[in-house]
Amino acid sequence: MNNSSKKGGFDVDIRSLLKIQHKKVYAICRLFADTYKEHQFLFTNIMAAASQNIRGRRENSDKQTLVLRACINMAALHSITTEMAPVVERSIQFKSPDYQRSMTRLRQSMGEASDYEKFRLFLELEKMPAEELTHLTGLPLSRNAVGKKKEKETDRAQLRKTSFNFIPYLKQKLVWN
Amino acid sequence: MELKKLQEHWDSFPEVSMEERPILSSDLEKIVVKNPLSDAFYLRRRLLARIIVFSVLWIVNAIQLRSQWISDGPDISELIALFGLLTYCLYFHIRLLFFADYPTLLSLPLISFLGKLETVLDKYITSFKFVSGLAGFYVLALIQYLLFRTNKGAHETLSHNDWYKWLILIFISVSVDILLLHSIIPKYRKLLAGVRKYKEGILVKAQNK
Repeated sequence: MNNSSKKGGFDVDIRSLLKIQHKKVYAICRLFADTYKEHQFLFTNIMAAASQNIRGRRENSDKQTLVLRACINMAALHSITTEMAPVVERSIQFKSPDYQRSMTRLRQSMGEASDYEKFRLFLELEKMPAEELTHLTGLPLSRNAVGKKKEKETDRAQLRKTSFNFIPYLKQKLVWN
Repeated sequence: MELKKLQEHWDSFPEVSMEERPILSSDLEKIVVKNPLSDAFYLRRRLLARIIVFSVLWIVNAIQLRSQWISDGPDISELIALFGLLTYCLYFHIRLLFFADYPTLLSLPLISFLGKLETVLDKYITSFKFVSGLAGFYVLALIQYLLFRTNKGAHETLSHNDWYKWLILIFISVSVDILLLHSIIPKYRKLLAGVRKYKEGILVKAQNK
């Protein structure tokens, strides 16, 4: 039985889930936002994306995964738009002194981490299993050097197999992926 | 060791601050109705507007084509070409709208999400070629109308010379295309390059790990 109820067009189930998960959203904002304004903007966008994902979800998808995907995808979009913006001196600027101090310390210990590393850090610091990264990003798990070589060979063989099935030009024109 | 230090810093964040305060239900009600995608990435409204405009033009064109077909009018080849272009434009835009599937776009895994965003932007840039083509037909029709009102002789010459008409049409289409290439398209090209670069960066980093 579905025990969710709607109040003013907004599902109560989604509301309680977002309330529970909002700490995780704040956590990813710490890694990607440099100012108070950016932090608030990213937070609201992630919450909106998470709610949209849950409302439009398919039967077999897990709500927790959808919230985390919203976090990662919105953080990626935030990075893309920040990179495209005109170059300005980026410094940490937050309103509460305690928060400013914590953020400065965190950034100093993080150094120049790439976004991929930030995603991994997010999972690690929020005590989520590393395998979750594959569900969230679609990227394979990090492999050791031996496994890497073997896998590369299998990938190449598979690529050879599929590329013979399609005329590349036609595939590109007809199949949008 | 480094990770341990990071975890310590992470745990030292204040429980409640101005930046991380508990979220209120009233705030949440406002947030969830907001569109999370920025204007540049959210092309749904633009695609829908184009589909509506093209549908209207398609209906008008179909009626004109029918009447010309019955009366064996002089502009039949032009109308058939326009009908074909409008039909393909409609198909292309509807397909793009369904492919983008905006309500579920953000629930995809990151790489698929970026890939889809890349394809949507790429196809949207391509769609400007169709707009240029259509502009050629409609500006030509406008020129013919203006000539009809001002210079009947010139109108007669133009309407009985298919070569002139097609040359003018191609010239207008190419001009509009160049205009779009230097005005609207660079914004989307920049966005597409940004998404592509980011996706490749993530893939390279993941492969090196």
